Amino acid sequence: MDRKSIIKWIKEPGKMGHKYSLWAVYFCTGCGIIEIPPVITSRWDAERFGVIPVATPRQANLFMITGYVSLKTLKAIIRTYEQMPEPKYTVAFGSCPINGGMYWDSYNTIKHIDKYIPIDGWIAGCMPRPEAIFIAVTKLWMMIDKGAATGYIRYRKNYKFYRRNQEKLFGGLLWPPLYPVDENENE
Amino acid sequence: MRMNKELKRKIEEIYKDTRVEFPERNRMVVKTKKENLLPILEFLKSEEFRQLKAISCVDWIEEGEFELIYQVASLNSPLHIMVKVRIGRENAQIETIIKIFENAQVYEREIHELFGVKFKGNPNLSPLFLENWQSIPPFRKDFDTREYVKEVFDKIPRVESENEKS
Repeated sequence: MDRKSIIKWIKEPGKMGHKYSLWAVYFCTGCGIIEIPPVITSRWDAERFGVIPVATPRQANLFMITGYVSLKTLKAIIRTYEQMPEPKYTVAFGSCPINGGMYWDSYNTIKHIDKYIPIDGWIAGCMPRPEAIFIAVTKLWMMIDKGAATGYIRYRKNYKFYRRNQEKLFGGLLWPPLYPVDENENE
Repeated sequence: MRMNKELKRKIEEIYKDTRVEFPERNRMVVKTKKENLLPILEFLKSEEFRQLKAISCVDWIEEGEFELIYQVASLNSPLHIMVKVRIGRENAQIETIIKIFENAQVYEREIHELFGVKFKGNPNLSPLFLENWQSIPPFRKDFDTREYVKEVFDKIPRVESENEKS
C-alpha cells in the first residue's frame, strides 16, 4: 500500500473494503464463461485483484454477464441482480450483450442488455482475453474511487422504466417490483 | 450386411408404399406413409432397434410438406435407421409415438413448439424454450427473423435517453 491511499482508507474504509474485494456471482450465460476458469485458477489468478466467485448472489457485488443472453436467461439475470446487496456492479463481457454480436438477428437473444438492467462497464471482443477482465476490474476501481460506478443508483432511480421494459418483453412478470412503482407520478 | 438385406426384404414385404434405401454404409433410410409409421417403429423395436435417438423435422416449403425423421438405433448392431414420413404443411398433424418410445415426448414437444406440428395423443405440448411467443413458429422457412427482431427487440426503448427527455 502506498502512502497516498492511507488517507482514503481512513476516510472511507467501507468503500475501500468493497473496492478491493469484488466478489463475483458465479453465473454463466453463453459462451463467455469459458474464459472464467483460467481467470479464477492459477494461470491468471483473479484473487490477486480480490475477485473470487461466490456461490450465492447475496454475498456478491460484481456481476459479469458473460456472453449472449437468451430470454430465459434474462429472467434469471434480473432475479439474480435484484437479490444482490448494494453496492453492486455489473460488467457486460463480450460483444453479444453490447449489441447482439453475431446474434444480432436471432429471434431469442437480447440485443441490448442495458435496456433491462444497468451496466457499469463493457468489455468488447469475441472473446475478450482474460487480461481484459483485469483491465476492466482496475477501471472499475477507478470508477468506484470517483463515484462513477452508479449502476445500482440508476436502477433505483429509473426502476419504473426498467420494469416497464422487462414487462414489455416478457408480457408480465411473476414477481413483485423491487422498488415501489408509482404510475401516477409520471403524469 | 446380409442381415440388413433381410431387414429390407421384410419391411418392403409387409408394408405397402414403403421404400428402403442404403445411402451409405450402416445407414438405412425407410421412406413411408403416415399410416405405416407406428407399425414400422413397432416392428423395428421388436427387431432389437430399441433406441430412439432423435426426432427431427425438415420444412420443405416449395413442396408444402414437413418431413419428420425418426432416428432409431440398436446397441447390438452398427446400423442406423432413419424412418422418414412426409405430412402436409397446412394443419400438420401426426400420431404420437410415446406408446412405443417413451422418450419421444420431449422431442415431440420441441417440434411442436418450433415447427407447429401437432402430435395427437401427446399429453404435454406446452412451450419449452420460447418466452411469450406471439408470432408463427420460428423454425418454419417463412418466418422472417429480422422482421421479428425489428418488431420486438428494436421497439423497446433505451432507459437513459428517455429519462433525459422528461
